[in-house]
Amino acid sequence: MIELGFTQVFLAYLLVALAIGLSLWWKIPVQKDMALGSVRAFVQLIAVGYALKYIFELESAWLIHLAMLIMTLVGAQAASSKVKKVRRSFVIAFVSIAAGSAVTIGALLLLQIITFEARYAIPLAGMIIGNSMNASALTANRICSDIRGHAPVIEAALALGKSWRTACLPFQKEAATTGMLSMLNFFKTVGIVALPGAMTGMILAGAEPLKAVLLQIVVGCMLLAAVTVTSIVTLELTVRQFFTPHHQLVTDRDGCS
Amino acid sequence: MNDNNIILSVSHLTRKVTVEGSTKAIVNEISFEFKRGGIYTILGPSGAGKSSFLRLINRLDEPTSGEIVFDGKDYREYAPTVLRQQVGYLFQTPIMFPGTVKDNILYAQGRLDEARVDQLLAAASVKPGMKDQRDDKLSGGEKQRVALARLLATEPSVVLLDEPTSALDPTYTEMIEKVIRKIVAEQGLTAIMVSHSPDQAVRMNGVGLLLVEGRLVESGPTKELVENPRTDLGRRYRDKELT
Repeated sequence: MIELGFTQVFLAYLLVALAIGLSLWWKIPVQKDMALGSVRAFVQLIAVGYALKYIFELESAWLIHLAMLIMTLVGAQAASSKVKKVRRSFVIAFVSIAAGSAVTIGALLLLQIITFEARYAIPLAGMIIGNSMNASALTANRICSDIRGHAPVIEAALALGKSWRTACLPFQKEAATTGMLSMLNFFKTVGIVALPGAMTGMILAGAEPLKAVLLQIVVGCMLLAAVTVTSIVTLELTVRQFFTPHHQLVTDRDGCS
Repeated sequence: MNDNNIILSVSHLTRKVTVEGSTKAIVNEISFEFKRGGIYTILGPSGAGKSSFLRLINRLDEPTSGEIVFDGKDYREYAPTVLRQQVGYLFQTPIMFPGTVKDNILYAQGRLDEARVDQLLAAASVKPGMKDQRDDKLSGGEKQRVALARLLATEPSVVLLDEPTSALDPTYTEMIEKVIRKIVAEQGLTAIMVSHSPDQAVRMNGVGLLLVEGRLVESGPTKELVENPRTDLGRRYRDKELT
């Protein structure tokens, strides 16, 4: 296995310098973002490295839960910031991501695929929350734009006596698919177009390729379930923000869209 | 209120909305009784609250205060989904759901046999051959008649028609007016239509209501309301002084 230390990491930053140099030469205005981003990434990742080392050594259940809670809160904040003008978007993102994570990690534990140890739970939660965060934001944005864009069609269905759920059904299907699209594409191309992160990481760290592949399959199944649960919960909660209990579409005058 | 001939009554019906910090009554203290089998045309200048009034009756919007009694019962006693099947709504712009004409009828009421679909299409003067036409192949006038047939599928007692001909040419306008008069006569429905045209109100030959700034200012036989209004606002509307 390759031994990495700070020397190798600093040397790797020569590649950042190369990228900045090239962007200067081509007058692409991203040098500041590159410089700040790479420094920020260094600081954040080193901090996370130390935090994980501490958590792994302590092996405390409440600390694992706390780490997951913080990751979910940050993920929900990031997801809700991408969703425009929807009431309770942070709560929706938080509940959706938490549901996706709880269901999948719970299932992995129940099926005894993993044990509740920081070494497994935290990296897996990180992957789940990262993917669920994107699924939640994509699903919420799509359903909001569809409801706003198709308000007359939805009202025509409501006026015929349809429930808000029936009136929104065609749009909900589209939005859910949008949220799950990255995972569906992942399953189509995995191993052919790209070698996914978990597997690559294990191989680079010296693991046997077959073991790395088996883990990647488990991760793929886990992420598919997570984004599906997250997308559905996001949909359920977001669509409700557009309707009153009397199946009336709430429009911009009521502060929703 | 207990008069069995009254299908719908509204009392002090009001809806207030707040726009940019200022609250305005877009429907203001309207009281009226609609009889079974009647044709009612709501007239008034732009922004008079005509469509807003219809939306309250279908409960697409919630009144701020006032009462709506439908078929002897307070509107809140009905589930909104049930009330809306009884009080159908035809929008100004015909809206079709993706699919064929028949799909659109079945969307409103799934458990209909072929004969009933044909009957509904005939009631709205939709040619039988159009049953399998897709929504995007229909003209505006055809779409509006299909939307009318679709609305009849839920067997409403009242149909609310929100300027149903404003987007149509004179030929289709005449056709839709004829269809409305026909379904009222044949099926005993009550039609409440919003119109921007006093001439159309006269042609529909029923009871007219004049709304100005959310208030009901005058009502009566349409011809009289249009030609010899009793109120100052009615005369100003006739003389096109209100826009």
